[in-house]
Amino acid sequence: MKGAVRPAIYRYALLTRVSHWAWFVAFLILVGSGLQIFNASPNLDASDQSDPARRVLAIGSPAEGVGTTTIFGRTFVTTNWLGWTGDGMGSRGEHAFGASITIPGYQDLAGGRRWHLFFAWIAAACWLAWLVSSAVKGNLRELVLRPGDVPKLWPMQAYYLKLRKAAPPHGVYNPLQKAAYTTVLFVIAPLVVLTGLALSPGIDAIANPLTVLLGGRQFARLWHFAGMLLLLMFFAIHTFQVLTQGVVNQMRSMISGWYQP
Amino acid sequence: MKRRLFIASAVSTLAGCGPVSAALNQNQGVARVLASAEGLNHALIGTRGLAREYGERDVAPTFRVNGFATPSDQRYVQMVRGNFAAYRLVVDGAVESPQAFTLAQLRRLPQRTQITRHDCVEGWSVIGKWSGVPLAAVLAAAQPRGDARFVVFRCMDNDGAGNLYYESLDLHQARHPQTLLAMRLNDAPLDPDHGAPVRLRVPTQLGYKSAKWIARIEVVGSFADVYGGHGGYWEDQGYEWYAGI
Repeated sequence: MKGAVRPAIYRYALLTRVSHWAWFVAFLILVGSGLQIFNASPNLDASDQSDPARRVLAIGSPAEGVGTTTIFGRTFVTTNWLGWTGDGMGSRGEHAFGASITIPGYQDLAGGRRWHLFFAWIAAACWLAWLVSSAVKGNLRELVLRPGDVPKLWPMQAYYLKLRKAAPPHGVYNPLQKAAYTTVLFVIAPLVVLTGLALSPGIDAIANPLTVLLGGRQFARLWHFAGMLLLLMFFAIHTFQVLTQGVVNQMRSMISGWYQP
Repeated sequence: MKRRLFIASAVSTLAGCGPVSAALNQNQGVARVLASAEGLNHALIGTRGLAREYGERDVAPTFRVNGFATPSDQRYVQMVRGNFAAYRLVVDGAVESPQAFTLAQLRRLPQRTQITRHDCVEGWSVIGKWSGVPLAAVLAAAQPRGDARFVVFRCMDNDGAGNLYYESLDLHQARHPQTLLAMRLNDAPLDPDHGAPVRLRVPTQLGYKSAKWIARIEVVGSFADVYGGHGGYWEDQGYEWYAGI
């Protein structure tokens, strides 16, 4: 018989768990409603005012039944995926992103803006509540990447790639986890908030240097979109890891707080 | 159990968001809750600050037409034929001294020129050079009464279903130094597509607030009785009245 089961540890505080799931819901709604808003003008320019000469991404439909995606001047046919997609009412048409992934699930810019501008507040409030509570409790120390962690990044990756037998010594979170969470929570998430704010003509009138720093309003729209893609990438990797590293234990710990080491 | 629950919720959130979000989106209660963010944004951002003013070299070669093109409304078509000689800008409602300005009279008021960016709710932006009379000067001539709170702009186009375009601003935004009754774009008189003879320019809010083809400025205490009651043509169709974001 093996030794006794190790006692479960209380890993996540209530506020961390609530804000984690609220963030999950808010993030999916922000992505869906953001794509709805994008569809109203499906171009991204690296400029202040719209400028076809500085167009980075254009999704369109040059002809009935054809969808195309142009990235840095190179055009790909993306019919049924991008440009010519479902309209959510049984047929297909000229929509950059299909109605199955936009919120709401049919063309409605006003509706998309309502969802987006409300859940932007929810996501920002959750982030702030989590940050303040973690900082007060001192938990941030375990999560934030420090200069001392940097030399351990490659050994940790080597361990994951089975090039190394043991993981380098680390605390609650390993160096790669720290790097990922630090980047997402303190670089990409604030960038997405700031680039979103720069799209507002009212905020631009108060804080124009922010828009200028980002390269202009259309450039801010490009950064905002790129930030969304990076967050989606994190979301995909995060979900993969949860599913492959003891999904029941992982899910239980983020729901009840108790983790079985 | 939890795994199944997780997968079920993830699948319904990702793949089923179309029908689910469509139903939620059309629920009035949900829409009201979501729209509460507008009040927060208005309170926090408000109408403070001045929109950036650009230099001549930033002006776009062609100013993209926002909203509708030249109205087909009979009254407007006749006015274009007569080169706007019959045009009067009526300012009335909750004012001490109602006005009816001819274009020549508007041109004699103090003028302002500003090169500002137009940000469309759809997401695109274009920079243009606008000249005209600050709305504040026109309001000052009409002298809003103590009960005045909003300014409603009634326009000369309809959407084909008989609904006239209209917009509204609060008095604070109306008196903002960059809120302009524009008569010229890029050193030429406004053309019909861009709102001739007089249009609004509100560079601190999204483009749909900048109503074109203005015929009448009505000062009111409340816009609840005007058309759909939400303060504007697009507002009646679900867009925010405060379009600073």
